[in-house]
Amino acid sequence: MPIETSASVSDILIGFIQFMIIIILAPLLTGIMRKIKAITQKRIGSSIFQTYFDILKLMKKNEVISQEVSWIFRFSPWIIFSSTLVVAFFIPIFVVYSPFGLGGDIILVIGLFGLSRFFLMLAGLDVSSAFGGIGVSREMMISSLIEPALFLALFTVAVTYGSTNVEIIMSHTAESSILISASLLFSLFGFFIIVMAETGKIPFDNPATHLELTMVHEAMVLEFSGKSLALIELSQSIKQLLLMSLLINFFIPWGLSTSFSISEMIVGLLVFLLKMVSLGILIAYIETKVAKWRLFRIPDLIFLSLASGLMGIIFLFI
Amino acid sequence: MTHDTIGKKISDYKSLIFEKFNGSIEKIYNKNYNELCILTSNPEASTKVIYFIYDNLKCRLVTMICTDERYIENRLDRKGEYNNFKNEIDLMDKSHNGFSLRHVFSNEVEDIFFIVTSVLSNVDKPTYPSIVSHIPSAVYYEREISDMFGVIAQGNPDTRKLVLHEQWPVNLFPLRKDFDIKRRIKRRLNDHYEYLKVEGEGICEIPVGPVHAGIIEPGHFRFSVYGENIVNLETRLYYTHKGIEKLAETMTLSEALLLSERISGDESVANSMAYCQAIERMASIPIRKKATQIRTICAELERIWNHLGTIAGMCTDVGFAYGSSRMNILKEKIMRINEKSSGSRLLFGINRIGGVKVDIKPVILHLILDEITHIRQDFDNLVKSLQNTSSFMDRLKGTGIISNKDVLGLGANGVIARCAGVDVDTRKNHPYSYYRYLDLENIQGIIDKISYEVELNKRKGDALSRFEVRVIEIKHSIDIIQKTVTDILDKNAKNDNIDSDVNNDDILFFDSLKSHLKPYDSALGYAESHRGQTMHWVMVGKDTNRIFRYKIRTASFCNWPLIELAVQNNIVPDFPLINKSFDLSYSGNDL
Repeated sequence: MPIETSASVSDILIGFIQFMIIIILAPLLTGIMRKIKAITQKRIGSSIFQTYFDILKLMKKNEVISQEVSWIFRFSPWIIFSSTLVVAFFIPIFVVYSPFGLGGDIILVIGLFGLSRFFLMLAGLDVSSAFGGIGVSREMMISSLIEPALFLALFTVAVTYGSTNVEIIMSHTAESSILISASLLFSLFGFFIIVMAETGKIPFDNPATHLELTMVHEAMVLEFSGKSLALIELSQSIKQLLLMSLLINFFIPWGLSTSFSISEMIVGLLVFLLKMVSLGILIAYIETKVAKWRLFRIPDLIFLSLASGLMGIIFLFI
Repeated sequence: MTHDTIGKKISDYKSLIFEKFNGSIEKIYNKNYNELCILTSNPEASTKVIYFIYDNLKCRLVTMICTDERYIENRLDRKGEYNNFKNEIDLMDKSHNGFSLRHVFSNEVEDIFFIVTSVLSNVDKPTYPSIVSHIPSAVYYEREISDMFGVIAQGNPDTRKLVLHEQWPVNLFPLRKDFDIKRRIKRRLNDHYEYLKVEGEGICEIPVGPVHAGIIEPGHFRFSVYGENIVNLETRLYYTHKGIEKLAETMTLSEALLLSERISGDESVANSMAYCQAIERMASIPIRKKATQIRTICAELERIWNHLGTIAGMCTDVGFAYGSSRMNILKEKIMRINEKSSGSRLLFGINRIGGVKVDIKPVILHLILDEITHIRQDFDNLVKSLQNTSSFMDRLKGTGIISNKDVLGLGANGVIARCAGVDVDTRKNHPYSYYRYLDLENIQGIIDKISYEVELNKRKGDALSRFEVRVIEIKHSIDIIQKTVTDILDKNAKNDNIDSDVNNDDILFFDSLKSHLKPYDSALGYAESHRGQTMHWVMVGKDTNRIFRYKIRTASFCNWPLIELAVQNNIVPDFPLINKSFDLSYSGNDL
């Protein structure tokens, strides 16, 4: 399908709606996943809207900032938030068109996520607390292993569909009716592990823990409070939604709307939400059923993803 | 073992020790049926006896008790008053006063305690030779005594403060009798504690605490790490020292009972049982069998709910939500049984001196039987599924290993000792209460099985073996409860409820208690809490209804030092798991 190069007003509107949906629904997804986790643990759990309340509450709070920190600490939340928002512009979620999609290269997406993580790590080091340092060194270990695995998994997808542009890949996947390629199955497996790692899910990290010594991501954000914390939490939710929507739209693309007709778009949105929630349920279920792995065994899991991505590529050329 | 056979054994030991140390022993006698008291003429002589008992009789040091007996000399003048007590009271016949020091050893095979007493008559600069070089587990006791009494162990290389931190004034010793409990203390702010410095390239320090995330008590952990590997850990406790031992000295016997329940909230039955037993042994009053049965049921319920809580905590600490929520459900069920049978979820207010405060009705007993059978089934299934969860097992395996040697050297007890194959259990070694009538051979069999399995898999003393020991103990406790409840019900059926009311002679008892006790008499009381042996020693005052000295040593005090060894060469994120698998009490340590 040819890509429309000139974006009309309605295109921009659609793109903007997609962007807003991402931002608005991201905390809801986090809330739903928390609720599911609570139910699997036989707890009642907090409302699925609790994440919104938390963010709103944090917005109202004053910040406590250590005297030891430099500008990096103050600016990091904004850099993290804005780089995540830029990614949100590129990634279409239920319509294959995205007016800003032309620049939406998959490598840029990875790069922007890398940028936000880089600043998060800097901020973690900047507070010069022992926990921040621990968190950063662990995050650095994990992310340096994740990135090649992520590239490999996405490389298979890119080669299969002949482009690294998110929109082009998605317009191709929307056409394919069923997943038949073994290479894509392998890279799906690899990508799924990466999504779990990137979003700090249980075999990798336990975001619900109160134990500073075991934290990875949480240890870096320990010193943030108020608005900064709200921004970081929100960006984390958005990042989770974006990664999960990439997984859905690359590997389970059925129901993706390929035209601008209202009915098709509504169906597309509903199917997308359904898929998202199902994926959320799956992840929450895995999180309940698995204990957090020993820190130095986490690379094993990432190597599994790496190997799987490699298998995907091999199968692609066989 | 019956009292007679123990008595025979004790007289054997008595003549053995007396012959060997003829010149240096002033007095040797037994009391409270299994305590052999040896009063030596001077601290140096006492050291020789101590080494003999430790080396040749293979005994464990269970506690060290210091008492300030400087101001009770005038009782000697009024000796005639107490002449009707022909039994030997160690203090009464002493020719001099001062600080007296008691080293208590326990013989694990024969249910005998050796109490080696020496009197330090130099009251201005009381010192005694340290035994640390020979018996390493004495180090913490000696430091504690030096803080609380100013009685110095000469030759103890560790002269740092332990109980009282640097802010406490120098040369002010709270457990001395001339220290007024109401005295206000001015804090010293100019001194600070020197942590052990680990130096080298890439070594970092991580300070954790004393205030922690979550609802736990304070303790400071200073890690020296190389990357993620823990090179050294230094723990600092006693941030919430409550002065329980000093407080007890202002109390009557029945008031101190309430205090003993609050030593550590989750060991309320074990600690109050130990306290009550100390008084009961001292007064040598018989306890109704049903009262001992109720005590046993409650003590085992306490063990079960705490072990379940610990296993749940271990699951939480490795992020295994399924296990922790299911374990917490079982724990809640046990706590509801607690409430139904005693009115208190945490089993407070069970014991009283001479018996129990609550009577468990047959209806409730049947209910306990029913519930506990269901819990047993649920628990078995759950443990099976935990053991099949490879990610959970992998975290436990090989984590926080403690060696057999460390356990013996530092005198650890309870689960911590048993997980490393050291078979100590007060219920078995020194049977008390209804455990005396129960067939505890099961414990023996289980321990053998563990040490066999442990050796087989070369995972001695790791978090996994602690997990398994706890699992086995829960099952075993359920067996004990079932057996005890059935015993009560059988008896009830036969005797037509004659024995059901345990409270009917309450008032009568308290009147007679006073006449049973002799001034300045003392006794040991002990129980096995879920953490291990809790050892109490009570000495009543001149007014026998008041406490002169109440020394408490909980299992946590013995086991805390082990954690520093257990975490070495582990990684930082495994520390919370190791800590939880130890399940130590801050409150039981910061007396």
